[in-house]
Amino acid sequence: MATARTPTPSSPDGATIIGESVHIRGQLNGGEDLHVLGRVEGRVDLERTLVVAQSGIVKAEVSVKNAIISGVVVGNIHATESVELTREGRMVGDIYSPRIIIVDGASFRGNVDMGDIANMPARKPSAERPRPAPAARPAPPPQARPTLTAKPGAKPAAPAPAAKAPEKAPDKAPEKAPEKAEQPRPASVTPLEPPAAKGLPQKAQKTRVIVKRK
Amino acid sequence: MANTVIGNTIVIDGEISGDEDLTIRGTVKGKIALSASLIVENSGTVEADIETKNVEVSGNVTGNITSTERVELKSDGRMVGDIKAPRILIADGAVFKGNVDMER
Repeated sequence: MATARTPTPSSPDGATIIGESVHIRGQLNGGEDLHVLGRVEGRVDLERTLVVAQSGIVKAEVSVKNAIISGVVVGNIHATESVELTREGRMVGDIYSPRIIIVDGASFRGNVDMGDIANMPARKPSAERPRPAPAARPAPPPQARPTLTAKPGAKPAAPAPAAKAPEKAPDKAPEKAPEKAEQPRPASVTPLEPPAAKGLPQKAQKTRVIVKRK
Repeated sequence: MANTVIGNTIVIDGEISGDEDLTIRGTVKGKIALSASLIVENSGTVEADIETKNVEVSGNVTGNITSTERVELKSDGRMVGDIKAPRILIADGAVFKGNVDMER
């Protein structure tokens, strides 16, 4: 009895703790921080922070303000503020949050959605780090495009200024020699070079115009 | 730290099981199965069938309690349901409606 009472006052009133051996199945709602050292399955809705400790396992649809994950989470997390996967964190599921921090060592499989990225100022480099992960997946298709069709593939991949270069290329290619069909291919093989190559033809064009005026 | 606490604003609808003491200050509906002690504090509300070793009720409990050791209804405890336990204590001021079974 005494042992049961002594730990109770030591824990702060504002925090809920699910101990290591405790297993909750069902729906959990609350307006305070929740520390999970045990197991929670089902659904978790909090107005504050969910902390999944190293020993904690959460298999649930999670809707919180903040989440700090050092344990295991299987399920989707919707956070109004931030989600942090620490070094020990393991997660499978999608994350919807304006701020997402994935630390080196963390394991994660799923989608990341930071909301309206276009209107978001790039505040912290740490907030942008998670982007390469989702960006890495759409990357393969653009690589495949240039192999199929060289010029049309280059247009959507490159920003607006790059569109000028391909326009010039087709003009030159048919005019000069159809035999040089190989030339457009190398240009498409090195998509990183166009900005440098672009500058040269533009200058060349200007010089030509001047020559015509003279 | 390791002790499990369900805080004031927490509402759980479902099943809780475990091998350690559980303190409830919020609301739990469904079922509770513990091999240790359950403490329902003043602010706690439990609408559940409870199976534990010990139970200490200072808050509200609706449901049946089956305990292997003892059940204690404190003076500010309110309980509706049946209690089955070898030792049952009901303090002066406690509110209780239900059956009591002290058979071992």
